[in-house]
Amino acid sequence: MNHTPDAVTAGNGGSFDPKQAAALLDQTTQQARRQLQPSQPWLLMIRAVLVLAALGAIWLSVRGQHPYKGPTAADIPVLVGFIVVNFAATVAVRKRAIAGVSGRSRFTEGEIAVLVASFVVTVVAMVGLGAAGVSFAYYPTSVMVIPGLAWAILAAARSNWREFATGLALIVLGVVGAFAGSAGSWAVAAVGLCAILLGNAAVIIWQQRRSVVRP
Amino acid sequence: MTTEELDPLIHVPTRLKIVATLATLPEGDALSFTRLQDMIGLTPGNLIIHLRKLEEADYIHSEKIKNGAAPKTTVALTSQGRAALTAYTQALRDLLGGL
Repeated sequence: MNHTPDAVTAGNGGSFDPKQAAALLDQTTQQARRQLQPSQPWLLMIRAVLVLAALGAIWLSVRGQHPYKGPTAADIPVLVGFIVVNFAATVAVRKRAIAGVSGRSRFTEGEIAVLVASFVVTVVAMVGLGAAGVSFAYYPTSVMVIPGLAWAILAAARSNWREFATGLALIVLGVVGAFAGSAGSWAVAAVGLCAILLGNAAVIIWQQRRSVVRP
Repeated sequence: MTTEELDPLIHVPTRLKIVATLATLPEGDALSFTRLQDMIGLTPGNLIIHLRKLEEADYIHSEKIKNGAAPKTTVALTSQGRAALTAYTQALRDLLGGL
């Protein structure tokens, strides 16, 4: 390795003192972490507030139902719209952040197939359990168990422990929701998803602001 | 410890920015030349000069990928480059602790 000074070094780093270098290293790293982060904290926080509002509103509309009939016809388009906008915004922000990035951190076709299959299996399982008369088959929290498990497995395979924790939290939410009753599961979904999204945002902000130089 | 002990290949503002940016990617990931240029804010010619220096030292690895009509160049930090940045960061810590 040749470490002799060159024209570029001399012109660029002649009086580059360690304090400046440490500040530049921290600043560049934090900037790059923010720009390359597929899950932007600001979007996670907006989603957290919106999910709390959307699912919380449904909980308010169903909690007085005796017997339980589920969300009203007016709630369904709002819920579907929320899911579609949420998905589209997440994909758009992720696409922008990872533009130009290639390699292992991008989802493989196999991983995408596993995630899609997890949603298909969820629908089949819900219909099957519903037909068998299982009470929690159509709870909003029950939908999260299988995709949460798939997400946790994929994240563990990548040693991505934040995403692994997200997958586990979704499974826990599904289990807790099963004990909350038909109406209560909407409140569990609202508060639980909001907490998961805010927790993710907090961890990402902490990871982005962590200094490289200061231990 | 003195500043002379800092890796002279990394201890240049532009190259420190390049290495620090590439180090935020997980191992096995690469960044396109155009995205790196956009993030660092350099002209293509200037970036090429610095990348060549880093590649000569085996700190980075660049690859030309055929992507339709226009070939795409990707740049990644090698394990040697990652180790060099870790050593450089530790040297900075030692220096600043002693200041």
